[in-house]
Amino acid sequence: MSIIINLDVVLAKRKMRSNELAEIIDITPANLSILKSGKAKAIRFSTLEAICKALDCQPADILEYVED
Amino acid sequence: MKDNTNILIIITWGILLASVSVLLNDMREFDFNQFKEFQNWAKTANKKESWFTSKNAIQWSYYAISAGLFFWRGYLIYGFSYFLSILKEIENGNYFSDKNIKYFKKIGNIFIWYTVNVLILRFLLAAIGKSTFNFFNELKAEFTFLIPVGLAFFILAEIFKRAKDTEKENELTI
Repeated sequence: MSIIINLDVVLAKRKMRSNELAEIIDITPANLSILKSGKAKAIRFSTLEAICKALDCQPADILEYVED
Repeated sequence: MKDNTNILIIITWGILLASVSVLLNDMREFDFNQFKEFQNWAKTANKKESWFTSKNAIQWSYYAISAGLFFWRGYLIYGFSYFLSILKEIENGNYFSDKNIKYFKKIGNIFIWYTVNVLILRFLLAAIGKSTFNFFNELKAEFTFLIPVGLAFFILAEIFKRAKDTEKENELTI
């Protein structure tokens, strides 16, 4: 897929663990893992908003377009 | 939902058992000894005599076709038994599973095969009895409604296939 999820990088920068983020944005660790691994088919605006709020970042910090 | 499923399972079992008992009763009333008589006749028959037009051969054909009709009725009951499998999947919460899609296709196949084959056997019966076979009159018979029902199950299988994809997509939307 040409959309890359850089959630790991942002989490490392913020020194936050995945489980912690999952708890803050109120999704299951399993779903966060699906998002991080790039297996997710889509992301809701509400989830994106919650992630940006929790990590104090912009959507562009998490999502990146790379040409195939 | 589970209560409704249980009621449907009980109704399906009732229909299945009633159909099996009716079929078994019909088979019991059917004189299978005719086949033995035919075998005896086949051993002693005059080989020079034309086989197809002889009375015994015609009678045997009649019984063979009747037995064929029993077989297809049994096949239809077997098709009905797939409803139980579908209901079991629903009871387990797997509404749009691959198994359900497969079962719907199987039921559709069985219904269409049953109707086509029974039509052919009825045509042969009419031919043996030298009675007239009106295809359109046969199509008016109740059992031919199983063809559109069979097609409906194929359509349902396609809908379930699409629903399964949508469900999977929904599960992967975070």
